[in-house]
Amino acid sequence: MLSALVVSLKVVGVATLAIAVLGTLLALLLARARFPGRTVLELLLTLPLVLPPTVVGFFLLYVLGRGSPVRDWLGLDLLFTWQGAAVAASAVGLPLMLQSARAAIAAVDPVLEDAARTLGRSEPEVLLRVTLPLAHRGILAGLFLGSARALGEFGATLMVAGNIPGRTRTLPMVVYDAALNGDLALAAQTSLLLSGIAFLALFLTRRLEQPRHR
Amino acid sequence: MAGTPRLHVDIEKRYPGFHLQVRLEVGAEVMVLYGPSGAGKTMTLRAIAGLLRPDRGEIRLDGRTLFHSDGRRQQVNVPAHRRGVGYVFQDYALFPHLTALENVAFGIRGPDRRERALAWLRRMRLEHVAHLYPSQLSGGQRQRVAIARTLAAGPSVLLLDEPFSALDRDAKRRLQGELRQLQAELALPVVYVTHSLEDAFAVGHSIAVIAEGRVQQVGRLEEVLAQPANRRVAQAFGLPNVVEARVRAHAAEGLLLDWDGSELLAAGRDVPVGARVIVHIRPEEIRFIYPDRPLSAAVRHNRLRVRVLEHRHGPDFRLVRVLTLGPTSAELEVRSPPSTYMDLPLAPESELEVAIRPSGIVVLEAAGPDAEG
Repeated sequence: MLSALVVSLKVVGVATLAIAVLGTLLALLLARARFPGRTVLELLLTLPLVLPPTVVGFFLLYVLGRGSPVRDWLGLDLLFTWQGAAVAASAVGLPLMLQSARAAIAAVDPVLEDAARTLGRSEPEVLLRVTLPLAHRGILAGLFLGSARALGEFGATLMVAGNIPGRTRTLPMVVYDAALNGDLALAAQTSLLLSGIAFLALFLTRRLEQPRHR
Repeated sequence: MAGTPRLHVDIEKRYPGFHLQVRLEVGAEVMVLYGPSGAGKTMTLRAIAGLLRPDRGEIRLDGRTLFHSDGRRQQVNVPAHRRGVGYVFQDYALFPHLTALENVAFGIRGPDRRERALAWLRRMRLEHVAHLYPSQLSGGQRQRVAIARTLAAGPSVLLLDEPFSALDRDAKRRLQGELRQLQAELALPVVYVTHSLEDAFAVGHSIAVIAEGRVQQVGRLEEVLAQPANRRVAQAFGLPNVVEARVRAHAAEGLLLDWDGSELLAAGRDVPVGARVIVHIRPEEIRFIYPDRPLSAAVRHNRLRVRVLEHRHGPDFRLVRVLTLGPTSAELEVRSPPSTYMDLPLAPESELEVAIRPSGIVVLEAAGPDAEG
C-alpha cells in the first residue's frame, strides 16, 4: 500500500497543478471571453464528468498513444507511466474545477475590473489584483473537488497507465486488487483512507462556499 | 466655459436603435451632463475613460489624443489604464476585498503609496475608517473613499456617474460642497452625470443637456434653464407649459403669436413671421387676476379665462393646474409662492382670469417635424 500511496501522491500532485493552471485559464476564457464555439468547448470540457471513465481513458489512449502529437512530436511516451495516470486524473478532475471557478469568476462585477483599469492597472494586473482575489474562494473550492476526484480516479487511469505495482498502481487499484484477492483488511484500510481524504476535501469546499463572515 | 477647454470630445457610436453622437468641450469647471435615463450619458463617460470604443471621432485631453478614428482605420486608441481619466462609478465600485486605505492606494504608484493614500483619506476626513472594509462603511463614507481613490491616482480629468444618487439629503449636500471645493483646488475638468436638476444646480458651473444620444444644448445653467434650445431640452428639464404657436407679427413690445386662436404677446425673438414655433410659458409668470381689484400694469397682457383643475401646495410653492377656456383649450401649470392668492377661490371648477407677462412667454425653436400639434 505504501508504494501505491507514493504513486497516488505523485499523480495527485501533478494533476492538482495541472487542474489549477489549466482550470483557472479555461474558467477565465469561458467566463469572460465571447467567441464562437464557446458553448461547445465548455460542454466538451465538462463531458468527463458524466462519461464512463473507461471512455475517457479510451480517448486518452489516442491522445497519448502512437500517432498522437504528444508522442510523435514531443517525444513523450506517457502510456503506462505515472505521468500518464496524472493526465487521466487531470482530465477527470478538471470539469469539477471548471464548474466552480467559472461561476466564481462570472460573479465578479465587471465594474470592479473597469474601476481597476481607470486606476491605471493593465489587464494582467486587473486579473491578479481584482478578478482572481475576488474569485479565489470558488477557485479553491473547485481545486479541492478536482483534486479529490483525481485521487479517486480509477477507470481512465487503468486504461491509460495500467496497474503496475510500484509504478502506476494507485490507491483505488489497491482496493480493487485487495478485494479481488480476499484481503479485506487491506481493502478496508485503503478505503477508509480514501474516504477520509474525500471527506476532508468536501469539508474544505463547504467551508469556502459559506459566505465570508464580517 | 471656465478658461480654455481641456477635454475635447467628438464621438459617434451606432447601436441597433440607438445612435450616440456627442460633442463636448470641458474646461477647468464642473460640467453637468444632464438628461433622462437612456440618453447616452454613461456611454459618453465610458467612451472618454476608454471603457467603450466609439465607431469614429476624436477624444483629446490636455493636447493628448486619447482616441482618433475616421471609422475605417483606427489611428489612436489609448487603453483605459494609460488615459489618466478618473472615473467615479455609480455604485462606488470599491474593491470589497480591500480596506479603505488599500482601495485608495490601489491607483498610486511608488514607494510612498501608503503615506499618500493616508493623506487623501485625511483630506476627506476618513482616516478613522482607513482599516475598515467597504461593507463596514456608510454610503457617504463609501462615496468619499471612491472619490479619494480616483483623485489619488492623479487623473487629468474627473468623471462622475450619478455619484450621490444613493445618498440621503444631508450627505448629498455635504459631498456636493466638497466636490466643488476639490474641483477648485485641483483646477480639474469635471464631467458630472445626473438626471436631477437639483444636483445639477448644486455642483454645476455649466450644463450639457443630452437626449436621444445627442448633446442638445450647452451653456451656463441659468441661461439654459431660462432659454431651452428646443422641445427636448424643455422635456429633459420636465418643464410644464410647452406649447406650439404661429408667429403673427413682430411688434414693438415683443412677438405676437397665434396660439390656436388666442393671441399671445411673447418676449421678442428673431423668428420669421408665419413660422410655427415651440413656446414655453413659465408657470411662475402666470398671475391670477383678482376680479374685485384694480388691474395693475403687471397684468396688462395675455389675459385668458381659465377653469381650475387641481390645486396643490408644496413645501415652498403653490401649484394650480388650469384649463384655458376658448378659443384655445389647453392645460397650464401656474406656480407661485405659498403666501399668494390667499383670498382667491382656487378650488377645482372655479373659473378665473389669468394674465401672463410677455417676458414669461419664451420661443424655444421652430417647430420641427417631430413637434406635436
